[in-house]
Amino acid sequence: MNNTKVAIIGVGAVGATAAFSLSMLGACKEIVLFDVAKGVAHGKAMDIAQASYYAPKDTNINAVDNINDVKDCDIVVITAGVPRKGDMTRADLLLINAKIIKDVTTSIKKSSPNAIIICVSNPLDVMTYVISKITQWPSNRIIGMAGALDGSRMAYQIQKKTGYSAKQTGSLVIGDHGENMIPLPQNVCVGDIPLNELISNDDMLNIIENTKTGGAQIVSQLGTSGYYGPGRAIAHMVEAIINDSKIIIPSSVMLNGEYGYKDITVGVPIVLGSNGVESIVQLKLDEQTKEKFKISVESIQEGIDILKENNFF
Amino acid sequence: MAKGKKVTVIGTGNFGSTVAFILAMTGICHEVVLRGRNIDIAKGKALDMSQAANAARQHTVVKAAMKPEDIANSEIVVVTAGAPRTPGISRDDLLLKNAQIVKNYAHEIKKYAPDCIVIVVSNPLDVMTYVMLKETGFPKQRVLGMAGILDSARMAHFIYEKLEYGAGQIRATVMGGHGDTMVPLPKFTTVAGVPIEDLLTNEEITDIVNKTKNGGAQIVNLLGDGSAYYAPAKSTTVMVDAILKDTKQIYSCAVLLEGEYGYDNIVSGVPAMIGANGVEKIIKMTLKPFQEERFRKSVMSVRELTNKLYVLNFLPKDKI
Repeated sequence: MNNTKVAIIGVGAVGATAAFSLSMLGACKEIVLFDVAKGVAHGKAMDIAQASYYAPKDTNINAVDNINDVKDCDIVVITAGVPRKGDMTRADLLLINAKIIKDVTTSIKKSSPNAIIICVSNPLDVMTYVISKITQWPSNRIIGMAGALDGSRMAYQIQKKTGYSAKQTGSLVIGDHGENMIPLPQNVCVGDIPLNELISNDDMLNIIENTKTGGAQIVSQLGTSGYYGPGRAIAHMVEAIINDSKIIIPSSVMLNGEYGYKDITVGVPIVLGSNGVESIVQLKLDEQTKEKFKISVESIQEGIDILKENNFF
Repeated sequence: MAKGKKVTVIGTGNFGSTVAFILAMTGICHEVVLRGRNIDIAKGKALDMSQAANAARQHTVVKAAMKPEDIANSEIVVVTAGAPRTPGISRDDLLLKNAQIVKNYAHEIKKYAPDCIVIVVSNPLDVMTYVMLKETGFPKQRVLGMAGILDSARMAHFIYEKLEYGAGQIRATVMGGHGDTMVPLPKFTTVAGVPIEDLLTNEEITDIVNKTKNGGAQIVNLLGDGSAYYAPAKSTTVMVDAILKDTKQIYSCAVLLEGEYGYDNIVSGVPAMIGANGVEKIIKMTLKPFQEERFRKSVMSVRELTNKLYVLNFLPKDKI
């Protein structure tokens, strides 16, 4: 896939950082940016294209004014959506974003019919479900970015706790990309050493808690959501697909019997390669984790049910 | 700003050359010095690599050591020198021969690069690391043997062969001596945080462990003339990188034990945190009784060889 073309739909801070990361890696041949704020898309495309002069490889970066001009892309990253504002209920937000995602996806389905879609819009698992239903594409081509980010947040917590390099820390977070996410530090190795050999049980619980609130901690300091972590995590996934790396990256995908669930999108470890989801990795969960997973699935199902009640599908 | 980093590689065979080449291609340090018996070969390879570094647009310069003092100011000295086992030479003769080579270089290092960190890769690895320690008199933080990273990499490869995914994400744990007595720990082996015991059957894991133990011999048999050097060299540069960049990463390395795991005055492979000071910390893992027993056997096989060096008066008894 040397001539890979990647589209980024929605060029806010997350989308722009994803594009910037990709261009610095020289991961693909071409990047197309689209945003309803046309000037923003064009301006950022120029800025990133000029920065890529110092990158190891050339990347063509362009913006388009019409989403229908996002043509024949191999990978489409969707970051579009609005953040929750003052008097909006959760249901309001869900319906607004689902509508945006529906419009975007309908257009992508026509203009890039063979693409793999990476969904980044929130609420992540529900929006991934929406994309899956609107496109009707095989489920290997619809992937929600969740564990890639949550995993890096957990690795950061582990590094802070142990002092050992996060670079060699494996990281595994499953479940929904929200308050019921399930970090599994007990499975993780630092270098070759299982984490439970290095830290106490209290520290382990502390890592789990801090991973779950990792996004909120940034919001409370910054006043807005983090975007370096999410942007780079997206680039990591895009690279795995382009390079056909077949590496495990926990992501939100449609289950069809795996883990005992069907017709639900939720975070599980997947093998990511040129076909998108190459396979779903079946973890052996203990009873306690199974229960947590159930709660996680139910919280996503609630969101999907709100859309169904409003005749969205 | 500090001066550019300098790494000396002793031994210009396939192993040493490949170490130097990786360093030059990745720009981990600014200067690489090749020190070998044959100065023309060292010069020829240094020229070839310096030219390759320019092709790769790297800043690293590779030079040949014309005299022993040219290794001065090296942050790290990698010792790959040693004779291979040839027909007709006994194991004991080879042990003494290589111990003598390592001893000579140890004295050079002590004299001309007294502040460096030494990475030993000469075989038999654990014993040669011990000789280096005793002959330089360096603190144990500054003398490490490369073994566990290579054995872990081999195990990870054999796991990948079975899974057909997860390449580069597999963390495999191997302790103990380098070679037949290594102690693979599949319990502590994961793919991106997923335990391999969730992914493979016991039979498959046993098969992987056996393949790992024979990983070096398998390559020797295929090559016919010589042993592996790509993976060993890459594993060595991983340690160089960890030291120069002070990464504090954890790797299985051959280090001097002083009470850790219940052993004293012996070199064996254990997980250690590697940083700018060399071995910054030895990590104690909880082993199962059968793993402890394997580790004991591994340590004993090293002890047998170091004892031999004392009996033969190669190592002075007052240094025990």
